[in-house]
Amino acid sequence: MSTDSVFVHKMWADHELSKMITKGTVPFPMLADGGGNVGTAYGVYDEDAGVDVRGRFIIDPDGVIQGFEVLTPPVGRNVSESLRQIQAFQLVRESKGGKATPSGWKPGKAVLTPGPDLVGKVWEEWKVQMAFD
Amino acid sequence: MIQVGKKAPDFAAPAYFNGDFTSVKLSDYLGKWVVLCFYPGDFTFV
Repeated sequence: MSTDSVFVHKMWADHELSKMITKGTVPFPMLADGGGNVGTAYGVYDEDAGVDVRGRFIIDPDGVIQGFEVLTPPVGRNVSESLRQIQAFQLVRESKGGKATPSGWKPGKAVLTPGPDLVGKVWEEWKVQMAFD
Repeated sequence: MIQVGKKAPDFAAPAYFNGDFTSVKLSDYLGKWVVLCFYPGDFTFV
């Protein structure tokens, strides 16, 4: 979503984005936020510049915001990190909140089961090097 | 104000998708995971 019109979205999709992707078509809707009303509601509209800055929101099936990241325009996102966060939120949701993913978690790595038995014992299950790689 | 753990503000917006001009309402996606991305403009570089 940007403050561009759907007509500009069509030009960008058809003449540039289509050349970057193997499928040839952008696989998600490109939304127009003329006037920045939606960006304002999400706190990402820059009134001085008249544009929405680089914001990314993860919204769960109940319509609840689970996470967001907002960057100034010149720095691009890390899509892999967004996917990792979605996988983590999905794992937590499927566990009905019984599981938690510690720092550095990614699919296949250990999860935590918060509860009385884990208090003061995280050090036995999680080491600092697990935050990396 | 936006906060994690709180409802995402609903909206409807014009959209370009699959070669057509259409409209997208966030609440139509209830039951699915949604990634909503804002960016400063088409043809920006990153």
